[in-house]
Amino acid sequence: MALRSFAPSSDERVVAGVCAGIAQTLAVDPTLVRLVFALLALAGGAGILLYLALWAWAEGKRVWVAAALAFVAGCVLLGALGLSARAVVGIALIAGGLALAWRQGGSFHPDAPLSYGGIGLAALGALVLLWGGGTSSALLAPGAVAGALLLIGGPWVWRLAVERDVERTARIRSEERSDMAARVHDSVLQTLALIQKHAQEPRRVASLARRQERELRGWLYGDHPLDESASLRAALEAAAGDVEELHGVRVELASAGDCPVDASVGALVLAAREAMTNAAKFAVVEEIDVYAEVTDDDVSVFVRDRGAGFDRAAVPADRRGVVESIEGRMERAGGRATVVTSLGSGTEVELRLPRRAS
Amino acid sequence: MKRRVVLVDDHDLFVAGVRSELGDAVEVVGQAGTVADAVPLIVELDPDVVLVDVHLPDGSGDAIINAVAAERPGVRFLALSVSDAAEDVIAVIRAGARGYVTKTISGAELAAAIERVATGDAVFSPRLAGFVLDAFRAGEQVGGDAELDELTPREREVLQLIARGYMYKEIAARLHLSVKTVESHVSSVLRKLQLSTRHELARWATQHRLV
Repeated sequence: MALRSFAPSSDERVVAGVCAGIAQTLAVDPTLVRLVFALLALAGGAGILLYLALWAWAEGKRVWVAAALAFVAGCVLLGALGLSARAVVGIALIAGGLALAWRQGGSFHPDAPLSYGGIGLAALGALVLLWGGGTSSALLAPGAVAGALLLIGGPWVWRLAVERDVERTARIRSEERSDMAARVHDSVLQTLALIQKHAQEPRRVASLARRQERELRGWLYGDHPLDESASLRAALEAAAGDVEELHGVRVELASAGDCPVDASVGALVLAAREAMTNAAKFAVVEEIDVYAEVTDDDVSVFVRDRGAGFDRAAVPADRRGVVESIEGRMERAGGRATVVTSLGSGTEVELRLPRRAS
Repeated sequence: MKRRVVLVDDHDLFVAGVRSELGDAVEVVGQAGTVADAVPLIVELDPDVVLVDVHLPDGSGDAIINAVAAERPGVRFLALSVSDAAEDVIAVIRAGARGYVTKTISGAELAAAIERVATGDAVFSPRLAGFVLDAFRAGEQVGGDAELDELTPREREVLQLIARGYMYKEIAARLHLSVKTVESHVSSVLRKLQLSTRHELARWATQHRLV
């Protein structure tokens, strides 16, 4: 415990300002502090000695004078409480021993060396107390000895407890590390091996890297359910991952809100996947933007690319991709698909599904 | 004049990549890999823009922003991250970053984003726009300042288009606005994101601090 320093207050002083200074430091009423000193002064003048000690300490930092005065004050106080001279000497010796131990870096820190002088002094005090200190010492001695033991032995017990905690933390950490190593081995290292094997095929390398990134990301930051049947976002993420892997494009997925995947939302996901596939195959782009939004009224998914675009009238009638897989599917699910495109300005497919009250 | 940029990222490979991709578009005046190194460096160099990774070995990007903001209020921050976690991104933005982009961004786009942040505008990636729309979704209001806790229909429209992958210029054309107006809508969303006490945002920020 650090001693809080204080400065005697010259503004509110009555004698030397010590009481007012203490009151300021502790933020209490000075009258209360003065009352305590007055009561202590009645105990054989201990209050006056203590006052002088504090004044000496605060004024000129005359630490030894202050300590000696405080020591005498403590003895006087104990004497005034009705203890025999022997008990006072015993307690004084214990206090002196502890002070010595503390000054020598003592046993208050677990790693500090033992202060044999301090311990010896405290033990001597305990002996004096135990042998014939009168009636009051019979009451005080065991407590004083126990206190001294606690102060000296406590830190070691404490250190043992801390060491055990450290050991346990280290064990947990090493378990975590081996779990991590297992995962990294199963996924990242395998992928790196595959990438080395396929170094001559940039598209394959890109899609391998991308899939690994997605997997790792899901593991590191996956706070939302990855169950594809539970979440539109998860289902779209899976679809985007498939398209990335199959066609070597990047799909940038953004979303606001989420909802469970029922039959019609499932159809929406399939239509979105088809739209992504079309963009990957025909638009000649590196990146596709997908945005899903769930409101109280409907679910919308936008699939956009900045690619070649196309002229709908020029699409041969036997090419059923857009008509069947996207528009037909959405209509059967009770929704609507809108394709906005023109040559050279990219394509955006908007899929909208009203949410049923069910 | 070229923008003076400091890169804060602990992945040397990535930093080297960014440097070469940015090329001559900006002047990279310094780089740091930790919060402890970055703060004095930024205070000393006083750059226009700091590209800051959300996760650093000894802390997160918001720690840098908080430490530098008092001494160098003119320095603008752009968060750059691979993290997808909404709480991470929201925390950096709320600390004062003027935008967030993912590390897969191309060099040209990054240079454009730096310029935009340097002139005081905001930069939202599609993903961030999605987070923000999610956070400001209707019907989750828990009191507080209505002006700060809700997006206007126009702001919502702009953010939706950003989430769909549109660029500011395309958004302006589509909504029959000037690019300047689109920018001011995005800046206003950024302000709300930083000042709002909305439940969702507060929750994200708290979660982040607990981690």
